[in-house]
Amino acid sequence: MPEILEITQLSAGYGPLRVLHEIDLTIKSGERIGLVGLNGHGKSTLVRAITHMTGWQQGSIKLDGIEIGGSRSLGAGRRTPSLVKKGIGVAPQGDAIFPGLSVRKHLECGAYTKQAWKHRKTRIDRVFDIFPPLRSLEHSLVGKLSGGERRMVSIGRMLMTEAKLYLVDEPSLGLAPKISHRVMEALWALPVEGAMIIAEQNVKLLSDRADRIIGMHAGRLRGDVGHVELT
Amino acid sequence: MDLGLIIYALNLAAIYSLMAIGISILWSSVGMINMAHGATFAVSGYAAWLATAAMKPIIATTFGNGALASFVMAGTLTSASLVAGALCGAIIYALAFLPIHDKPNYPVRSLIITLALNIGTVQGLLWFFGPRSQGLPKIFGFGRWEVWGTKIRYDQAGTIIGATIIMALTLAWLRYSRRGLEVRAMMQNAEGAAYSGISRQVTALPVLMLTGALAGMAAALLSQTIFVSPTSGVIPLLKGLTIALLGGLGSVPGAVIGALLIGFLEAIIGAVPFLGQRYVMFGTFIFIICVLIIRPRGIGGLLDDTRE
Repeated sequence: MPEILEITQLSAGYGPLRVLHEIDLTIKSGERIGLVGLNGHGKSTLVRAITHMTGWQQGSIKLDGIEIGGSRSLGAGRRTPSLVKKGIGVAPQGDAIFPGLSVRKHLECGAYTKQAWKHRKTRIDRVFDIFPPLRSLEHSLVGKLSGGERRMVSIGRMLMTEAKLYLVDEPSLGLAPKISHRVMEALWALPVEGAMIIAEQNVKLLSDRADRIIGMHAGRLRGDVGHVELT
Repeated sequence: MDLGLIIYALNLAAIYSLMAIGISILWSSVGMINMAHGATFAVSGYAAWLATAAMKPIIATTFGNGALASFVMAGTLTSASLVAGALCGAIIYALAFLPIHDKPNYPVRSLIITLALNIGTVQGLLWFFGPRSQGLPKIFGFGRWEVWGTKIRYDQAGTIIGATIIMALTLAWLRYSRRGLEVRAMMQNAEGAAYSGISRQVTALPVLMLTGALAGMAAALLSQTIFVSPTSGVIPLLKGLTIALLGGLGSVPGAVIGALLIGFLEAIIGAVPFLGQRYVMFGTFIFIICVLIIRPRGIGGLLDDTRE
């Protein structure tokens, strides 16, 4: 299977703080990776480093064979839109929603490629099929929705185009167990042609479903345990 | 309160809101307090003056002296100032946004650069055109209507209607076009916009050109009431900035309501016998300070019922 993501010697951080220490990680096409670790050990920073959202970073990141990494000490987020256009879909931690836009407009924002913009109606319908509760909320402002609905909108925005790599940061953060289960079920049910990384603290939500579970501790990857089933 | 006072207040509010909306949109989407907005205003006024002076003989020979001629003249004046304003926006993009937008402390740096641009442009205009004010042709004509015993001058009515049309067009563009959707997304959450593939470098150019054109429109409309001079942008900039703050920087409806409030406040303070025109600035700033002490997010905070 071809490698979708190939990270070598990636370090990243914010100002004087170094969060990631020379990370190596390879993800093959079709894999769903669970990234687990405690708060503050670098799960989100890894997700942000792949999209150039950290303060600085160095090291190679290859997306489908194309180099997207490199050294950088300024310009957080400057390359993010072009990386997203190259095929990285992101559902960031804390959702990063647009509170004053309706659900439909919000999803349209995700349709950034020409192809996706042309087919945005069918794509929005597809997101509504994945997250049925959103259908009746189509015209309500996202800022008035509940936490679970916002998470669905955020993930739905990520799904508006075909990406090679989906990055989902803490899909269960701040949600009631029942709702977080529903969100996770929807994520697992997605037909993924590329790869998906789910950063998550709750190992139980990943057990039995993720192809590989990788631990993170103090900015380093610890243990690549493969398929895990907790009872 | 008589009708004349309301018309005067609406006239002020129209100009102020054109300036304030531009500053407000620019701050929340591009993250830049554009101190060069006043320079844009003055340059657009001069561009309109030059264009109308150059076109006057041509229009007079082709269209004669009738209604069509003044209509063409009106088109020349507004399009010249709109284009000049948009060009100024593009220049500000090239000088004060592109080189520094990914450096640390970008908001402060761009504030300083645009302030320098403002001062430099005003001095350049003074050096080139001299301090004399220039009168522009009256595109709405001279004269007044009598409505319920009050006289409404054509230029006042034209300013209110023109500003309303331009603002409606801007809001429609923001609401219905794809680029407008990108701008609104950027205004509400810059990080989310980046993750949606919306690039700040790309979107900043149309935003700066649009806000420049709004300043140009304000200049074209105000030139009907007062003369164009190199320093004519100072007061609109000051009023625009403070009203954008009062409206809660980033809220378009807040800026419009703020402009209406300040317009009426100024008209009323000017009309009260023991206060008069010299207390206008004093009164409006006291009002703005009081509002910001009670509601730090300005009027936009009152309108906003969503949560982050």
